[in-house]
Amino acid sequence: MNDDREPELQGLERRARDAFDASVEALDAHTRSRLNQARQRALAAATAAPGANDARRGWSAWAPAGALAAGVLVAALVLRGPVDSDRVPAVAGSHPAALSQEPLELLAAGEEFEIATSDEELEFYEWVEVAAVDAANGQG
Amino acid sequence: MEPRGARVYGMTRFASLDPLVRDRADTAGRSTEETRLDAAHARELDRFLASVERRAFRIAQFALRNVDDAHDAVQHAMLRLAEHYSARPSEEWRPLFYRILYNGIRDIQRRHGVRRRFFGWLPGSSAHADEDAPDPIEQVPDAGPEPSRQLEADEAMAELQRALQRLPARQLEAFSLRCLEGLDVAATAAAMGCSEGSVKTHYFRALQTLRGELAEVWT
Repeated sequence: MNDDREPELQGLERRARDAFDASVEALDAHTRSRLNQARQRALAAATAAPGANDARRGWSAWAPAGALAAGVLVAALVLRGPVDSDRVPAVAGSHPAALSQEPLELLAAGEEFEIATSDEELEFYEWVEVAAVDAANGQG
Repeated sequence: MEPRGARVYGMTRFASLDPLVRDRADTAGRSTEETRLDAAHARELDRFLASVERRAFRIAQFALRNVDDAHDAVQHAMLRLAEHYSARPSEEWRPLFYRILYNGIRDIQRRHGVRRRFFGWLPGSSAHADEDAPDPIEQVPDAGPEPSRQLEADEAMAELQRALQRLPARQLEAFSLRCLEGLDVAATAAAMGCSEGSVKTHYFRALQTLRGELAEVWT
């Protein structure tokens, strides 16, 4: 600070500094302990395993690209509009819209899917498919 | 306290430490300084943080008037400095640390302001929590080198704190950093994010106000 400052102001600065220093020295043990713990946490964060931080940084680096891709996908879906049922490839004379909704209905029913594990089950599913096609063609 | 030559450094001495500029650089994906510390560097950072933590806590306490908030502000500043700026030259740490600290203090004050605005009317709200909070000076333990001198120091500090609480925020920052923490003008300007001229103005006004407040009680 300026040496040419008024003596009164210099005295004020000195007293303020002395009072402040004394209050810092008089901090209680609990406060000192909390500050020490905070310092250790900060040091631990700075010296953390590189892998963890690199991984975090890696994800954050990919975040903009992911957001862009998601945006493009949403824009494409919006611009494309609703699915035109006539453009869905027909399967063996069946009604395509009816077939395409079946999986959704199964999902909505909350039934569990099980992967067929035996020939008997596979035959059953083939029979169900044929029956569905026949029903759609009015042959059932 | 400050050598006259210190003035010639100006802001250019700390021109590269603007945290906001650094944040923008990080956001832009440029090289970051989040390097892992080696043992020697970690020890140096430990020593630095240990040298500032108590003073920083007191300074935060002046501004926030709440013990827990002061701890939060200091911890935030320590973490941020260690995580993002520890690779910078160690002579830049002090102004950087205090800049982060004061940014944190302002955030906490803003949060309290919003809370007071929206919930202050509720009965039993903590709108006046600051006023009800125990005086930090009263928490200072009586045990000391000499009880009478300790008492005198406590009283002087209590008077100083009362006077400091009447200062506008920027004047309080300038006074805390320049006088209490002992930063020179350039470092104070870097810590406050303003010009050296502003620092001098804030500091001079703070001194004038404090002289008026403390003239009688400290004579």
